[in-house]
Amino acid sequence: MTDQGPGRPELAGVADAVIETRGRPSLVWLIPLVAALIGAFVAYRAFSERGPEITITFKTAEGLEAGKTQIKYKDVEVGVVDEVILAPDLSGVSCRARMVKGAERWLTEKTQFWVVKPRISGGQVSGLGTLLSGSYIGIDPVLEGKRSRSFQGLEAPPLVTMKEPGRFYVLRSTRAGSVDVGTPVYYRRIQVGQVISSELDLNDDFVTTRIFVRAPYDERVHQNTRFWNASGVEVSAGANGVKIETESIVSILIGGIAFETPEEGPADVAAADTVYPLYENHDAAERRHYAKRVPYLLYFRGQSVRGLAVGAPVEFRGIQIGEVTDIRLEFDPAADQFRIPVVIEIERERFTSLQASEKKREEVLDRLVASGMRAQLKTGSFLTGQLIVALDIFKNAPPAKVVWNGPIPELPTIPTPLEEITANLTQLVNRLSKVPVEQIGTELQASLKELRITLAKSEDIGPALKATLEQAQRTLASTNALIGPDSGVNAELRRTLLELSDAARALGLAADQFQTQPDSLIFGKKGSR
Amino acid sequence: MSAAAGTALAASCARCHACGLLARLPIPATEGARCRRCGAELHRRKVRSLERTWAFVIAAALCYAPANILPVMTVVSLGKRESDTILSGVIYLLTHGMWPLAIVVFTASIFVPMLKLMILVFLLVSVHRRSDWRPVERTRLYRITEAIGRWSMVDIYVVTILVALVRLGNLATIEAELGAVFFGAVVVLTMLAAESFDPRLIWDRSQTRSS
Repeated sequence: MTDQGPGRPELAGVADAVIETRGRPSLVWLIPLVAALIGAFVAYRAFSERGPEITITFKTAEGLEAGKTQIKYKDVEVGVVDEVILAPDLSGVSCRARMVKGAERWLTEKTQFWVVKPRISGGQVSGLGTLLSGSYIGIDPVLEGKRSRSFQGLEAPPLVTMKEPGRFYVLRSTRAGSVDVGTPVYYRRIQVGQVISSELDLNDDFVTTRIFVRAPYDERVHQNTRFWNASGVEVSAGANGVKIETESIVSILIGGIAFETPEEGPADVAAADTVYPLYENHDAAERRHYAKRVPYLLYFRGQSVRGLAVGAPVEFRGIQIGEVTDIRLEFDPAADQFRIPVVIEIERERFTSLQASEKKREEVLDRLVASGMRAQLKTGSFLTGQLIVALDIFKNAPPAKVVWNGPIPELPTIPTPLEEITANLTQLVNRLSKVPVEQIGTELQASLKELRITLAKSEDIGPALKATLEQAQRTLASTNALIGPDSGVNAELRRTLLELSDAARALGLAADQFQTQPDSLIFGKKGSR
Repeated sequence: MSAAAGTALAASCARCHACGLLARLPIPATEGARCRRCGAELHRRKVRSLERTWAFVIAAALCYAPANILPVMTVVSLGKRESDTILSGVIYLLTHGMWPLAIVVFTASIFVPMLKLMILVFLLVSVHRRSDWRPVERTRLYRITEAIGRWSMVDIYVVTILVALVRLGNLATIEAELGAVFFGAVVVLTMLAAESFDPRLIWDRSQTRSS
């Protein structure tokens, strides 16, 4: 620069003074420092709040959006889906999600994930909030168990979360009825639980239904509790008429399971996962209460059992004491005849005074039969035409005995009242057939013949009678000629009468003449003069 | 370069930053010189221009990353919460066919701050290296930087206005997020950096070099 200012030597040192450097750094460096600190803090916070990364597999990614879909527990966000990709074998989708810090503790093998979306199933509508906000992934965290980072998502929300107090039970039945996942479980018509799963056990073809009963109602489930299918409307047209039964309106729509604990019996609260039979209906469940059942065999000889069904009641004077358990048809080739054995079971607990021992019971039964106890088919309901088996004492029944020597003791039967009427009618017909109709006919014929002969004899009187009649006729004819209109007598009589009337008229005229001219009597008529 | 001969610096003069009065500076001392007219402190060049510019540029660069990574705002609409970063907003606009708007947002929010940072760094480096490479173009670059700086604030204005206006409770609420703060910091810091940079330094160096 020196060459630039030869004329101004006083400026010679200025150029050097421009480049000033100070020992201590400027305060302005605090700004990048602060920026770096804040950035570092934000980065640290973001990093330190990062929880574990997990993978959830779903069948479909419906409602899942990378970076948006949240994982929520009790509506608190606990994670976000980072990535949704197809599974390598295309069997489903794999969801990579970042959980919040500290989530490791409850990400165990038992932890369940499911997509919460609007759902209308059976008796409930759920997830309506997600209609607007979009789906999210629900989680049921479980603290105990082995920790895991990879999960299989559920297709539907679990009906019972692990936290919910209560017990699970297993019900077994031959068919599922209208029991489905979510079907309510009722106790005294209060919903106390739900069906968790219902599936066919491939080992023995039984339907295994897992149910959950909430606390404290699970304490009402004892060892002797009976579960039955309270599905929909139970319409039973039995011998007792038509019966309609239902547990609730909801159960009409989606079915249900009800249970009842009998008062008597052991009062131990059942342990979780106890297996119970699931009865088809309330009646079936109640029936099983009578454990002591004694079978008897009945033969209704020569009688149709149409209208008698398995399950038909066995009544003693109108009180049910058992039911029909089997109806078969047997052909006896030796005797060439069909027999219909009907097996009934008498529930001995139904009558209270029968407390005798086995031997004595037989004696009592023998005595009863000896005094006329018989089984009889009766029409239980005229509406349905169902038959029942009635036991009663028939004083004048033909003597019979209990047949003890079969596998099932056989009770004697007596025909139905209707059958009796039929029998009586047959008797009547039989008696009628004995009437000697032919003999009566012959006799009647003979009588008629006789009558004819009598009539033939009476023919001789005829001519005489005829002559007499002819004579009478003649007499009458002559009489007729005498006084008939053309007879002379008649004409003369008429003439006489005419003259007589003329005379009367003349007499009248004369009388008038005398009245007006009394002197004419003496002087004669004036005119004539 | 003959043009350099006419600089105030060469004449040992300084122009007052406040009122523009040219004043002759005393030769040995540069500290404590004051304008005769308005009393403002006189400097030959902006004080510690390079140091300050570097500091602001570095601070801005530090803020640039979180400004783009962190969400700028969150729209809570009917319970659905959606956070958007600047880039995701641009992508959203693009996928919905609003590409002119997408270009505007991209230019103002991503391209311009980045461009400013790069220009400033380039200018600083070139000054340090006493480069005499195209001083006129470099000066033009500086002018562009200064001019476009404020336009990046559009984003911040949009966010602040939306946050203030959209308060519809459950229907829709918009919240500003940390990204907006960083983004605002980037814009302000780059503006400060541009402000603290003295373009005359471009010429000073080239003169010294050429002389």
